[in-house]
Amino acid sequence: MLAHQIGYYSLILGFFFSILIIPVSIKNFNNKNKVIDNKVFSISFFQFFFVLVSFSGLILSFVNSDFGNETVFNNSHTTKPLFYKISGTWGNHEGSLLLWLLVLTLFIFIFLIKSNSQPKKYRILTLLFQQVIIIGFFLFLLKTSNPFNYFFPVPKEGLGLNPILQDPALAIHPPILYLGYVGSSIIFSASLAAVVAKHISIVWAKHIKLWIFVSWIFLTFGIMLGSIWAYYELGWGGFWFWDPVENVSLMPWFCLTALLHCILVLEKRSILSSWTIILSIATFMLSMSGTFLVRSGILNSVHTFANDPERGIFILIFLFILILLSLVIFFVFHKENDQKIVKINWLSKEASILFNNWFLMYFLSVVLIGTVYPIFLEVLSSKKISVGPPFYYKLMIPFLIPFLFFMSIGPNLNWIKSEFKKIKIQIVLSFAVSLLISFIILNQIGFVGLINSILILVTFYLFFITIKDFFLKKYKNYSQIFSHFGFSLLILSILFNSILSSEKTINLKVGEEFSFRDETVIFESIESVKNKNYKSIVGNFKIKDKKNNFLQLKPELRIYNQPVIITSEADIKTTLYYDKFLVMNLVKDYEYFNVRYQVKPFMIWIWIATVILVIGGFLSLFQRPYEK
Amino acid sequence: MYGKKVKLRILFLFLLLASLILIVYLILKSLEENVVYFISPSEIKKLTEINSDKIRIGGMVKNKSIIIKSNKINFIITDFKSEINVSYSGSVPNLFAEGKGVVAEGYLKDKNYFNAVKILAKHDENYMPPEIKEALGGE
Amino acid sequence: MKNKIILSVLVLFFTFCFIVLYKGLNNSNIYVPETKIEKTLIKFNSTDLYSGNKISSDQIFIGSEYYVLNIWASWCIPCRAEHSKLIKLSENKSIKLIGLNYRDNPKNAKKFINEFGDPYFMIIKDNQGMISVDLGAIGVPETFIINKDKKIIKRFLGSLTEKSLNEINLITK
Repeated sequence: MLAHQIGYYSLILGFFFSILIIPVSIKNFNNKNKVIDNKVFSISFFQFFFVLVSFSGLILSFVNSDFGNETVFNNSHTTKPLFYKISGTWGNHEGSLLLWLLVLTLFIFIFLIKSNSQPKKYRILTLLFQQVIIIGFFLFLLKTSNPFNYFFPVPKEGLGLNPILQDPALAIHPPILYLGYVGSSIIFSASLAAVVAKHISIVWAKHIKLWIFVSWIFLTFGIMLGSIWAYYELGWGGFWFWDPVENVSLMPWFCLTALLHCILVLEKRSILSSWTIILSIATFMLSMSGTFLVRSGILNSVHTFANDPERGIFILIFLFILILLSLVIFFVFHKENDQKIVKINWLSKEASILFNNWFLMYFLSVVLIGTVYPIFLEVLSSKKISVGPPFYYKLMIPFLIPFLFFMSIGPNLNWIKSEFKKIKIQIVLSFAVSLLISFIILNQIGFVGLINSILILVTFYLFFITIKDFFLKKYKNYSQIFSHFGFSLLILSILFNSILSSEKTINLKVGEEFSFRDETVIFESIESVKNKNYKSIVGNFKIKDKKNNFLQLKPELRIYNQPVIITSEADIKTTLYYDKFLVMNLVKDYEYFNVRYQVKPFMIWIWIATVILVIGGFLSLFQRPYEK
Repeated sequence: MYGKKVKLRILFLFLLLASLILIVYLILKSLEENVVYFISPSEIKKLTEINSDKIRIGGMVKNKSIIIKSNKINFIITDFKSEINVSYSGSVPNLFAEGKGVVAEGYLKDKNYFNAVKILAKHDENYMPPEIKEALGGE
Repeated sequence: MKNKIILSVLVLFFTFCFIVLYKGLNNSNIYVPETKIEKTLIKFNSTDLYSGNKISSDQIFIGSEYYVLNIWASWCIPCRAEHSKLIKLSENKSIKLIGLNYRDNPKNAKKFINEFGDPYFMIIKDNQGMISVDLGAIGVPETFIINKDKKIIKRFLGSLTEKSLNEINLITK
């Protein structure tokens, strides 16, 4: 109760400070001082501090199970373990918005103290643009989704016990993803400010690069955690379903990845400035649209959240105000340097980066259209459709081939211009090696279609080129080598995983068995275990391979009592080579069980590869200025 | 006549335009091929012809209609006005049960018989997919 | 000049997107169906929450001009908000107010009634949610007005409001 009150009032105080920043910083903007007034720092700190207090208040309400608070009542339960009580704070709409706000205010404060070397006008403008976003979120939170609604009489027990959301990966997935989203808001404000203050320069590129990398790391890692959750918890044996909610996090990722490479070109050659600005704006707009699409319930998705049109309308209007604002600023203030029209040579590092930027934009538009088209069609013709994975595969896989090719060649080209004759023999040699390897592999597994075969070839090419770079290159850019290597590994594992996966679904009675390839799966028995808030039915399965080795798998069915939810806990046996995935489900009564058995090769490598990709991004933070 | 530079530029613009058109065409075409329409059992009864496109059907699993064999599950989807028989072999989601909402994806055999290739789950007990709500409520 | 054209084209494009999405948002409200009115109530069997006695729909809908059937559950927040309205409604003597307890734990349901008061003439259980489904309900709470011919003449989705109370009183006068 006390925590609730403190939380509520500090939220209002925080809002007060966020309004106060605006006049103070405008005054500071107009005076002649070279530095930012200390007042601005302290107000910005207080803004962050009160949001932090408010967030802690909400966490405490969750920990104390204060069910008078509507958010807590809806999303918590006394029997929940402490860890999930805490993670429940941001596992819902209101709490997650408060978390957004917390990160927003934290990041702008960090930005202020970390940007000493930049001109004052630019810093204050960034602060002002960021404040627009922060105030928007404050209004949204207070008006439509206040996490501190109290009601009487206080119920004794909460409702929130959706067991499927009780998963460690899911508990940390939203905060990490938000760090990425919110990081992109700083990039957005900073680039608008740079446009207005005419501060787009190599110095600016160096400084904003850090924020881009940090956001990218969090976004990548966040997406990975979400995907891990889907794989281990949803029990469908897949890790990416091209579901709108997943696509929505992928779109800013494409944009941010393009920006990440673009900023290197700006830093090195001070060209592509307009493109950099457009990408910065687009990244944040896509993050915001993501929030809109997920939170407004306009999408039909397996993960849909609360459906409240008023909320949707608010985000929608807010989103379009930001879009119009950035459009106007971009067109009114932005002047490309006309004096020096720089020619880009076809055979240079920047050209290959630019090509890949285009491909990333293409992938982005495919995902965007696939996600948004059903909404538009429904409004315009009231037909209901869904766009399935084949759409994405068909449009993306062929274009991955040139994309990967440029990714392999690019880092081995020089800035400005490379001589065709000077292209090293190693590059050709790596190609020969990958040709050989893919030929051998394809011989082993059989023909997998022309496009897949070429894709395997170019992915191996990227794979070997990065290995070659790691050992042989003179000026090593470890960040680039690691992340490109991680990416090639990711594509390879996804490819072989999808080509070589096999599965069988069957309805079984206890005691029955079925054979699958050269294994026999025996359904030996079931046992029923009673737990605190659920009953679980554990199936004992034995898998016998042709050498008579036994493997025990125990998938579980959990029947929660209040509210009644049945979840299947798949049993997954992970090795470096493959995952064996067994899940069972109740169909009717207790006679038949719907059993699904999957063998998924190289599953773990998908996660390992993503981690390497993230490590690559991480290394860039410690790297000395870019190679020549 | 035009200089070499201008010619190059025109060629470049032309290529850009062509690739843009090609991409738009590609996307639209794949969209057309890969979308799945959502239909309710009553709408199926009104169809004049059965085509071979993949569709989704939503409604409730009728009471006492689930019949299980080792390789197949048969059940009836109803929207309380019309019904359709569904035959399915594959894994079922947790919340698949009689009297519950369901969305099945697959192919129509005729107006009364549907071959499902996928059954979609929603994981919240109190959640009813909007498609189903509409299918049940729409006249 | 060129910039202005691009700018206005972009603004137009985004405005178009805005309008479509705005409409799409409002569309999600279309899911409220106004059907199943004038439909004869199906027969069902249930048990009384307190006595545990089996009871059929024919035994429930007897001896009154109008019936109001309210679907509720102790875990449903809007039901809490609605409860005071139901208490008010119970003063209307020309109706029989029946509570259909949807997928609830009887203990919690009784606790809920103890806490907030009992407006109902009778509470029957719908453990499986089947009765609600048969009624064509799509959520909790939901309220039906049924006449003596066992026809559903009006239905309210979501919490009852002051306005819907007046409407009920008007119909059943």
